[in-house]
Amino acid sequence: MKFRLIIHGHRNAYENMAIDEALLLSGKPTLRFYKWKPSAISIGYFQSIKNEVNLELCERQGVDVVRRITGGGAVYHDSEGEITYSFVCPQHFMPEKILESYKIICGALAHGLKKIGLEAEQAGINDIVVDGKKISGSAQTRKYGNILQHGTLLLQVNVRKMFSLLKVSKEKISDKNIKSIEERVTSIEKEIGKISDEEVIKALIEGFKENLSIEFKEEGIGEEEIEIARKLVKKYESKEWNFKR
Amino acid sequence: MKAKNGISKGEKKVKGGKLIRCEVRVKEDRIEEIRFTGDFFIHPEEMLEKLEENLRGKNIEEAEEIINSFFENIEGIGVTADDFIEVLKKAVIS
Repeated sequence: MKFRLIIHGHRNAYENMAIDEALLLSGKPTLRFYKWKPSAISIGYFQSIKNEVNLELCERQGVDVVRRITGGGAVYHDSEGEITYSFVCPQHFMPEKILESYKIICGALAHGLKKIGLEAEQAGINDIVVDGKKISGSAQTRKYGNILQHGTLLLQVNVRKMFSLLKVSKEKISDKNIKSIEERVTSIEKEIGKISDEEVIKALIEGFKENLSIEFKEEGIGEEEIEIARKLVKKYESKEWNFKR
Repeated sequence: MKAKNGISKGEKKVKGGKLIRCEVRVKEDRIEEIRFTGDFFIHPEEMLEKLEENLRGKNIEEAEEIINSFFENIEGIGVTADDFIEVLKKAVIS
């Protein structure tokens, strides 16, 4: 199986989500890695923006907020502290059962993380944990006969900052609880020290290669996809979309 | 908890940790406005809007039936019709 590999640097939240949707629409088998600048919060398709996000603080700190087309929870995408991946392929490449396909894609990610010395394993529906601590969460959707799964991988973690931007009850952000949540979340840096983005991405690519027998060719986005993404940016920037729930 | 505009809320953390919230306004036993939110997964996603639309104007018994048949046609990942019915009932009686 041949996949396109796209390695993007930083883009803003609206462009990142527009590109992922454009890739989903095209369905060309693709693995994309990217980062977010400015830092941003993405919320799940079904989440209420007002219930989940401290919008005032986000605005003050210049943190963008965007609704995803995928379900799941709110994610803080720190411009330096995380890497996001997206995986796109035609639906028939994967099992019909969504849960099964989460296992396959998250399994490949976990396999990749093992290559940099992390005892990573898939947990729950859409998480990857190291020693029981969450390091990655993913969300999948299926449209136009294709699959998009995207997810976050923590390079560094600052629970206090993450929680100040999200609407978490005061009780939950007490020092005691922050500590207990810090004990349930981890990052690559916490586990193995600082390593470069390139090393992390290389390991993840290897995980996909070995688990799914994929060959990769590094390419850019197609002209048509760029055109579609350009149009979709407007949707992701709109209040109508972001405040729909 | 009854909030502004007669909207009442219910929520449930399902097994596996996903949260479902329901905000509903009921007038004379009929659902006037309803919205489910949370960090759950439903495929296809847009069907939830259809479900909410179909629930407007219905009483709770009818709503139960509609939610049950909705789940026959969509894939809920880690969430079931019973979870949605439970959270709706919680919201209504709150």
